[in-house]
Amino acid sequence: MELRPPRERVDPRARWMWTGTDLVRFVPVTVVLLLVSGPWDWFTVPTWLWVAYAVLVAAYVGIVPQWRFLVHRWEVTESAVYTQTGWWARERRIAPMSRVQTVDHRQGAIARLFGLATVRVTTASSAGALTIEGLGQAQALDIVEELTRMADSVPGDAT
Amino acid sequence: MDPFDTVLGWQRLDPRMLLVHPVRDLVRFLPALVGILLFGRSSDGGGWWGLVGLGIPVLIGVSRYLTTSYRITGGRVEVRHGLLNKRVVSAPLDRVRTVDLTASPIHRLLGLVTMRIGTGQSGGPSEERLALDGLSTADATRLRARLLHDARSAAPRTASAPGPADRRVVLRLDLGWVRFAPLTTSGIVIAGAALGLLAQSFHTFEIMPTVHADSLARFGAIVLVAVGLIGVVATFCVLAVVGYLLTNFGFVLTRSGDDATWHLRRGLLTTRETTLDEARVSGASIGEPLGLRLARGARLAAIVTGLDKKQQGSSVLVPPAPRREVDRVAVEVLGTPSPVTAPLVRHGVRAHRRRWTRAMVPAGVLATLAVVAAYAVSWAFAGLAVAVLAGGAGLAHDRWRGLGHALVDGYLVARSGSLDRRREALHTASVIGWNLRATWFQRRAGLTDLVATTAGGRQRVRVLDLDVDAATSLASRATPGLLDQFLG
Repeated sequence: MELRPPRERVDPRARWMWTGTDLVRFVPVTVVLLLVSGPWDWFTVPTWLWVAYAVLVAAYVGIVPQWRFLVHRWEVTESAVYTQTGWWARERRIAPMSRVQTVDHRQGAIARLFGLATVRVTTASSAGALTIEGLGQAQALDIVEELTRMADSVPGDAT
Repeated sequence: MDPFDTVLGWQRLDPRMLLVHPVRDLVRFLPALVGILLFGRSSDGGGWWGLVGLGIPVLIGVSRYLTTSYRITGGRVEVRHGLLNKRVVSAPLDRVRTVDLTASPIHRLLGLVTMRIGTGQSGGPSEERLALDGLSTADATRLRARLLHDARSAAPRTASAPGPADRRVVLRLDLGWVRFAPLTTSGIVIAGAALGLLAQSFHTFEIMPTVHADSLARFGAIVLVAVGLIGVVATFCVLAVVGYLLTNFGFVLTRSGDDATWHLRRGLLTTRETTLDEARVSGASIGEPLGLRLARGARLAAIVTGLDKKQQGSSVLVPPAPRREVDRVAVEVLGTPSPVTAPLVRHGVRAHRRRWTRAMVPAGVLATLAVVAAYAVSWAFAGLAVAVLAGGAGLAHDRWRGLGHALVDGYLVARSGSLDRRREALHTASVIGWNLRATWFQRRAGLTDLVATTAGGRQRVRVLDLDVDAATSLASRATPGLLDQFLG
């Protein structure tokens, strides 16, 4: 007995959004390295370290977003929400519709650049929120509306 | 007449709360006051300033007294604060999970308590919580009965208050249990630090052979270190015992059958009374950290639906105590013995192998470094390598022995950990959803962590390293119908 992955993939543009967010993630370290070796002149960063760093960044930014795209999937049924996220560690989350408390639509700066959005479904457990990143804007709004309608139609106080 | 039956009546705090802050400040400024009384007569200015200093807390108290009020109306409890920024915090009565009464020594002197009402609203800034600082004990008891009773049924209240007859004492603290105080997890951390100190001192003596100390002086230094260490351990034990007594002195857990609540009372100087709505107790967590386990002790906390992590303190059911007492109370709380006593299903060979790799790989790295250090610096490091490997093996074996799960009598039971082992039992009706998390290594081994999410306690019960097949089947048996549609 085994779970199958959720049916729907996220928008292919999500790969470029993740590439963007991952690049941004390396900005602080890069800036510090540049400052240390350049204007502040504390010590010279050896060339091999620059090369190693560049390889690391390129590998991470080149591989991880693609890998994420292969893993990230979602599915909404009449009675439950099912998501799969992560890359190295894969996490599948299932929440029954009757326990859904809030449905958020969020959009970060980089996501907006690519016309993408995130849907976040929370339950009464702080360990149980489901997040679907990298959906097309229109699709995300549709999902939010659909989920809100379905969660409202199920009775119970969701705790 | 019961003052809470008036529908519109805003109730004030007890006027005696006006004395709390001045008395507290009086105690704090006592040395200064004595000084003023003895020597301050000559310099009049000092005395005046002292009066002003006492006046400010009085003013703050008066304004708080005048601006804080509460009422129960239309199925809600409301608390109003603030002079300029008026705020009303309110919650429906059926959201009341716990009522907590705390009394500091000054409160006790004045016959007052602070009431905190635990509702399902998690998080939020502190002023959003329902708290009333300074109710008289009698008012607080009445309000509590009203809150918890109405929380249970919207039906009209029966005239008789629950008498003492239907209260049954389930657990009373035995002073002998203080022996468990130094053995809790925090105890081990401090003991570990002390051992580290010892190791470091030895190491200091070992790697400084150039110091021309004659053997007598060296012996003396070792004795000194040993005495110091014993002193540290003894101090720590005393502190742990004092802490245990301050928190748990007079610990009494009672079950009230009439309004279906668990009631516990504890504390030496500051007393704390907590009432838990039984219907909201969705499980229990038996904590058996290594030290306690070796001394055949454990502790118990309730998993209360709707209480978030910040309100964890309200859910202690048994402080560190003998294992059989903990088991007995756990059985009573859960209403069935099997989640506590039933043998657990062991996890497969692959989980076993993973426990060992997880412990031995870091231990192996450390041991290798120690061996290198043994060649390069001092042979004493060889001992460290052996110790690290032995510790890793012990940890792996103990973690493996602890690993297990079960689904009995409607409870999902999971046990894991070594230094901080816990056996958690959660009623399946309180399972909200499931998270199945597997790293690349776990996927390769066909394993996954199964997490049942819930709205109480730590918000999750985790079953470590299950075979994928077993995890799916466990989750689908615990919440029938939810997973079927996603089976491949």
